Amino acid sequence: MRDVAIIGAGMTKFGRASGDLMDLLAEASLRAIKHANAEKEDFDAVYVSNMMAGETSHQTAVASSLADRIALVPAAADRIENGPASGGSAIKNAFMAVASGCYDLVLVTGGEKMTTADTDIITDLVATMTHPTAEYIHGVTLPAMGAMLTRLYMERYGLTERHLAMVAVKNHANALKNPYAHIQRACTMEGAMSSGIIADPLRLYYVCPISDGAASLVLCPLEKAKKFTDKPVRIAGFGQATDVQALQEREDPIVLKSVKIAAERAFRMAGVTADDIDVAELHDAFEILEIAESEDIGFFEKGKGHLAVEKGITALDGELPINPSGGLKARGHPVGATGVAQAVELVWQLRGEAGERQVKDPKRALSCNFGGFGNNTVIHIFERGW
Amino acid sequence: MVEQKFVGFKCKACGRVMNPKHDRCLTCKGTEFEEVELPKVGKLITYTKLYALPVGIEMPPLTLGIADFGGVRVLGQLTTDDPKIGMLLKPVWGKLRKLNDKDIYGFKFEPL
Repeated sequence: MRDVAIIGAGMTKFGRASGDLMDLLAEASLRAIKHANAEKEDFDAVYVSNMMAGETSHQTAVASSLADRIALVPAAADRIENGPASGGSAIKNAFMAVASGCYDLVLVTGGEKMTTADTDIITDLVATMTHPTAEYIHGVTLPAMGAMLTRLYMERYGLTERHLAMVAVKNHANALKNPYAHIQRACTMEGAMSSGIIADPLRLYYVCPISDGAASLVLCPLEKAKKFTDKPVRIAGFGQATDVQALQEREDPIVLKSVKIAAERAFRMAGVTADDIDVAELHDAFEILEIAESEDIGFFEKGKGHLAVEKGITALDGELPINPSGGLKARGHPVGATGVAQAVELVWQLRGEAGERQVKDPKRALSCNFGGFGNNTVIHIFERGW
Repeated sequence: MVEQKFVGFKCKACGRVMNPKHDRCLTCKGTEFEEVELPKVGKLITYTKLYALPVGIEMPPLTLGIADFGGVRVLGQLTTDDPKIGMLLKPVWGKLRKLNDKDIYGFKFEPL
């Protein structure tokens, strides 16, 4: 297997975009290609991660369309769909294609256009990821799942609403330093804790917004990266795992087993442990998930993640900064783009290009892209390749 | 509307009872199952009152919960607005929601 490098990264501003899905995919792609100094190169393949173009943009086969739009033809093109972890899955596919020797220059672009549809329609579309008969028909939504997990945490580990608010305040503060973030508004504990209830005990500020946006990466073999950049970021490992679809049927619904197994696989492949990670982007579609993932990845003991937030360990200047970008909560969550946007942020962090939100001198980073309600998780580990 | 028995699916090879139905047993990969009635009383382990509803559900809040019926956990709508962890519930048949303009029926949970 060959070592694989990310040589370029770019994204659109997340939020309510005036352009359509193809505009977003093209803009992010061209930024990544420019960042990689690969404007005149012929690409072998493009992987496009997207969850719901058919439903929200009435367009299918968006990867072929992007190849045409930005003159990648005759490159191979595939759309990758794995719910909100589509981005992670697309990076993994691109990694395997380059590592195997099949392709030498690959583009990964994730994007979603969500704000054109009404909130109750988007809520329903996202809910179609849940188990059709055991969850969906009862009216379950993703925030409802997040709420039921939160309540289990409150019962068993003494987590309180204040801890959810602390994560929100931290991620909003980080996003204020991120020009690409959807929500650029400071959030106070009082403001968060008096916002409207979405799914009790989750308030508006403990739930990610609905966003448009796209993000993109360029990959090549590490041995060929020097031609493009002095700062290639090596993909040191990935791990992906599924779990039983219905939350209630899991061995212990409070344990994100797919996260646990994906993390173990990624750490084994990279030959490192949780202690070797300097910065992480986690999938905080609901603030409880940042806490739960930080435990099941192995950063903190199970049931103690909220204490780490309390102590400031996960703050931008803490021992292990989590979600320097603002996370899904404040950078936004265009579902198909999110996994790629996490990697874009970590590439910038490792290269020292993250501006005001730059974490101090990180060498190694981890992303966790959580699909379904945790029944398909993709984790990547990135490190300096120079 | 056809199924009105509150059931689980028991693997004929290893005896594990599952709900929902799988085509292979999650424990032993067995493929033969028999329907077995689940206990009529379950205990609530978590819940939420949902205010941001998907299309097809009419009036907020929708109260949803997961209850344990003799070791098999089942998710459903609760008929009470005042749920408490640990409360005992029984399954009752009723209308759940509309999907594509059709009424969908299933089991909800009612406090004992």
